[in-house]
Amino acid sequence: MAVAWIGNRETLVERAAAHAAALLWSSRCPVFSLDTDIHGTRAAIALAERVGAAYDHANGAAVSREVALFTDKGAMTVAPGETRRRADVVVIVGELLQIHHEFVGELAETVPDLSAKNQREIFLVGSNETSAPRLSNGRTATLLSCGEAGLGATLAALRAQWRGRQTSQPVSNFDDFAKALAAAHFPVFLFSGDATEGLALEMLQGLISDLNRKSRASGLHLPASENGWGSALASTWMTGFPLRTGFARGFPEFDPWRYDVARMIAAGEADLHLRISSSTVQPQKKRNRMALIALAKTQQPVAGAAVTIAIGDAGVDHQAVVYSSRTGSLRSVEARAASELPSAATVIRLVASHVSAEAALPC
Amino acid sequence: MLTKIAGGDIIDPVNGRLGKGDLWISDDKIVAAPAAGAADRTFDAAGCIVMAGAIDIHSHIGGGNVNTARLLLPEQHAAHQARPATTPLSNAGWSTFQTGCLYAKMGFTTVVEPAMSPGAALHTHLELADIPIIDKATLAILGNDDFLLSMIRDDASSQMIEDYVAWTVASTRALGVKVINAGAAAAFKENVRTFSLDDVVPSYGVSSRKIVKTLQAAVASLGVPHPLHVHCNNLGSPGSADTAAATIAAAEGLPLHLAHLQFYGYGTEGKRRFSSAAARLAELVNATPEVTIDIGQVMFGQTVTVSSDVMRQFSARGSAQPKKSVIHDGDGNGGGIVPYRYGKDFYGTMQWAIGLELFLLIDDPWRVFFTTDHPNGAPFTAYPALFELLMSREARTEMMAGLPKSAMALSTLAAVDREYTFEEIAVMTRAAPAKLLGLTDRGHLGAGAIADIAVYRREDNIAKMLGQAAYVFKDGDLVVQDGEITHYRWGKALRLNPSPDKAMLRRLVDYHQQRYGLSLDWFNFPDSAIAREQPFGEVACRT
Ligand SMILES: [Zn+2]
Repeated sequence: MAVAWIGNRETLVERAAAHAAALLWSSRCPVFSLDTDIHGTRAAIALAERVGAAYDHANGAAVSREVALFTDKGAMTVAPGETRRRADVVVIVGELLQIHHEFVGELAETVPDLSAKNQREIFLVGSNETSAPRLSNGRTATLLSCGEAGLGATLAALRAQWRGRQTSQPVSNFDDFAKALAAAHFPVFLFSGDATEGLALEMLQGLISDLNRKSRASGLHLPASENGWGSALASTWMTGFPLRTGFARGFPEFDPWRYDVARMIAAGEADLHLRISSSTVQPQKKRNRMALIALAKTQQPVAGAAVTIAIGDAGVDHQAVVYSSRTGSLRSVEARAASELPSAATVIRLVASHVSAEAALPC
Repeated sequence: MLTKIAGGDIIDPVNGRLGKGDLWISDDKIVAAPAAGAADRTFDAAGCIVMAGAIDIHSHIGGGNVNTARLLLPEQHAAHQARPATTPLSNAGWSTFQTGCLYAKMGFTTVVEPAMSPGAALHTHLELADIPIIDKATLAILGNDDFLLSMIRDDASSQMIEDYVAWTVASTRALGVKVINAGAAAAFKENVRTFSLDDVVPSYGVSSRKIVKTLQAAVASLGVPHPLHVHCNNLGSPGSADTAAATIAAAEGLPLHLAHLQFYGYGTEGKRRFSSAAARLAELVNATPEVTIDIGQVMFGQTVTVSSDVMRQFSARGSAQPKKSVIHDGDGNGGGIVPYRYGKDFYGTMQWAIGLELFLLIDDPWRVFFTTDHPNGAPFTAYPALFELLMSREARTEMMAGLPKSAMALSTLAAVDREYTFEEIAVMTRAAPAKLLGLTDRGHLGAGAIADIAVYRREDNIAKMLGQAAYVFKDGDLVVQDGEITHYRWGKALRLNPSPDKAMLRRLVDYHQQRYGLSLDWFNFPDSAIAREQPFGEVACRT
């Protein structure tokens, strides 16, 4: 089975890696987009440092909104395990990604064993169009909406009404919500940066903060991308900064606008794109003249890529460490269907070994 | 390879070796001077002092809360960024990479991360594995977790409790156990806002004292070399000296370590009702031989407080500077991140003075440990300046001249003459930590010890002397020369490995399945997950 290509021509992985290294070395402004496990991220950041690249997650906007909540304001958060065991009121804030629906279903089917209440009420902040996770036993989440208002405005109205203030348009089912909160010991708000604008995340934290004056409440962060959040964590310990960090000047600089890789590509600032996707590749149309190096789980060269190297899927083809939103921490996963395909980390290290550097510290 | 460090002033209190002489290294170990044969390489240590590599027993260098602090404060790094980049990630500010380099430059070769949440053990060890040069270790946090609190409530046998502690230590690859504001994080989840030693966790009916005593006994009985590491209740509040005193009294003959005592050295005298109780606590420590403490010295400037004492951090949110914080309710403790600036005002001065008083009034350097509770009292990069304050009365007097008199009047610091000697520094930062942690292979320069060695060129400026080592060897590798890193290598995380009890393992499998809906596999990890050769080094329990 072919695993590496230069253009459309099949070649040895070693040769493809050397070619990728040469492209990176001669690039003026290389950018990386990551969708990979922890060790893939660690290897990519070490390579970015050697070649002066900027890096971001493949779905950079959503991860960046979640990062910004922490870098700009901070937050009150709770672990998923505590949510399951303690939350007597669960509030789903906006639309959650499909990957989190199973956990929400679990919350609907169980009762909090560490709460005196032994039952769980479920609300959904959104509009009539917000699609809620399907709950079992015909349960539905009580909708808290504010007409046509967006999520931020709805949360603002909710917060104002909770403080006893007048609002131009009242939130639907507010009385039920107020009653549930008054009786609750530990309400938890489920949030993600995926469909939620940054301001809404701040407004939500404002509401949680208000609730904590007299009683307890917190927010459960269900990331827009598990790989994205894992990469953000690894980047933070390795460089001190989350994603959207660049080494253009030889040392790490964090700038969520300047190193927005999608923006750099669209603006024509980048001249080489290294795309690392450990999960199944979504073929992307190449719309510009910028050279592409694609590391992806693929059996054929990625259209338009200068170099394609096949890699395995983390946790499927090889053992991996990934962020788990189910535990709220990093988790080791065994290969579900071990294969010969190399990991992203292995291939990136191979590329890095071809980049000349005095650098003494292999990652 | 045979290496000779020639003609230095050797300071090795453990082996009673003090004075001019040579030190020999064969590969990664210290050896006696060979009867014959020449060194393959010789380092001239004339005019230098030669000590074992330093050991830091309490410094928050990695794991979930530390990383959240980095995430919260990208601006903290800005100050580090202006230097030329000559080494990988060398300008990364407060990163794992910088942590190893900065410690090594000061001659530190082993550092303990004292607050590993068991659920974040893999994350913690991945961070520690990215800290170059030095060896690391962790303490696993227990005492706010439902499993333990339920066992205590249900009068579980001490054997069962020991089995659980042993399983936690083994599965998280820890070197010891820490309890942080025992019971308070659990109580905070039930909306309790203050918590003292004899307060009771609602729903469990278990007091903080009972949790501490239970864990203290289990740790001792299991032969974990490091005594239970206690972060007391009421950290930072006026009058917390009473809590510390009560906790010292609760040691009752069994070893107990109290962390960052400075943060409990507060009385309620004076018109601000905030005063130094350091003299009182020092006297208690002096009179209680089973108790060891570390200081958690405050140094002036910007820092960030990172603590698994979630109740305390929640109440400190209002003092955040800059105005942002993270409060996390975790499976056991969780934690809080609150940035803070220690100013030369009344309160900052009191805290600074209280830490120094404790250092200087506790007589036995074997029982007082050198920490700033990095980064809570100050970043560890303040160590050289702190050494100078301990070793020079003149440096203290100079500093005090610029501080508010109203604060100094409530402290005895100005009247204290003591200056630490190099021998006492060697005890406090080398010999005693190795003994406290059960690390017989380091902290001294005797034959057979690993060659972790720090050589400092004598000069009047103590901060400069101890801040930039002339040579540092880690496992016999020369890693620092003239204060600069010359060689990168990867250290290990030191851990205990008690064999877990099978019945306890079955209970935990059931517990996780029932309560969390997850198999225990979600929380375990193989060594290979760290993706480094030999990420761990095993330390023996006492038998
Ligand atoms: Zn601490």
